[in-house]
Amino acid sequence: MRASLIELQEALLATPLSAIALTLAAYLASLWIVERIGRPSWCPAVLLAALLVAASLWMLSIDVIDYQRGAGWLMLLLGPATVALGVPLYQQLHHIRALWKPLALSLPPAAALASCYSLALAWALGASPEVLASLAPKSVTAPIALGIIDELGGSVPLLMGGLLITGVMATLAVSLLAAPLGIRDHRILGFALGINGHAIGTVRAFEMSPTAGAFASLGMSLTGIFTALCLPLAWRLLGL
Amino acid sequence: MIALLRGFLWLTGFWLAGETLVVLLGLPVSAGVVGMLLMTGMLMLRVGRLDDIAAASQPLIGLLAMLIMPGVVGVFFVADDFAGQWLAVAVALVGGTLASVLTTLLLMRRFMPPEPGSATPEETPS
Repeated sequence: MRASLIELQEALLATPLSAIALTLAAYLASLWIVERIGRPSWCPAVLLAALLVAASLWMLSIDVIDYQRGAGWLMLLLGPATVALGVPLYQQLHHIRALWKPLALSLPPAAALASCYSLALAWALGASPEVLASLAPKSVTAPIALGIIDELGGSVPLLMGGLLITGVMATLAVSLLAAPLGIRDHRILGFALGINGHAIGTVRAFEMSPTAGAFASLGMSLTGIFTALCLPLAWRLLGL
Repeated sequence: MIALLRGFLWLTGFWLAGETLVVLLGLPVSAGVVGMLLMTGMLMLRVGRLDDIAAASQPLIGLLAMLIMPGVVGVFFVADDFAGQWLAVAVALVGGTLASVLTTLLLMRRFMPPEPGSATPEETPS
């Protein structure tokens, strides 16, 4: 009996379908829970889903490496999904044509500083080069950030955690700072959410208004492209 | 359904074209980003069917959060690897993000022209 149970566990771990089923189940469950508790911005569904998977792995004493090997089949889709981001970018191009000057003046420094502030703080507090590399693309949307981290040699789990916290913090910061700065223009608020808070900020912007959402997704794609093109180059030049 | 498959073939094809360029030219950029730029350029030249590509793109973009989730799971298992650095990480993420949101808002307020039409939209900020 016991021997056949071990055999069963080995058989189930050998197929990537069990990791895929666990991922889908956890994601759907977390969507349902997040909907139930009123979609708070501090708790994105991804975070809850990841917690559910981590808890299941721990309870079933499955190695996270085994899980990720299976789930890797699902993550293969990230490649075409990154290419797919070109469609909303193409659909927002008329905004770029109309506003190219303010965009050219404010987007590159904003996107560069989003990375530099955190690097400076982490460096001043004595973080290791691997931690610095993991934090550098923290404001970039996850599929693009995963491509950047390959070039920099950072830690993927640390980057993912950093992305989540950055998205939540950016959403909070925009709602806290908008009123004292007297900014009510939804184009600016959307941009700030997209540039700093990637996909999590963009979701929040779409809840504010379609205008804010459109500008957030534009800010998110442009930040992603700008960082993907410049950061690995800057990293190489600095000799890190 | 066939439109979705055609669109998925375009997306995969562009990813492969991106990978080809990255490998041949030794670019320090991921294949996905190069593929996305190639596809945006192609759409601007009106090559390819936007309908097909959008049919495959929209569901994939909607699923992005789920696709990155297995990567997030790892963060709960690396606590020991970065022992002693969590304070630096937390300060960098929280402080850095606050500072960069403030900078972005100030920069955009400085350079953004007033909205055409009215000063503020009617949508209620929440």
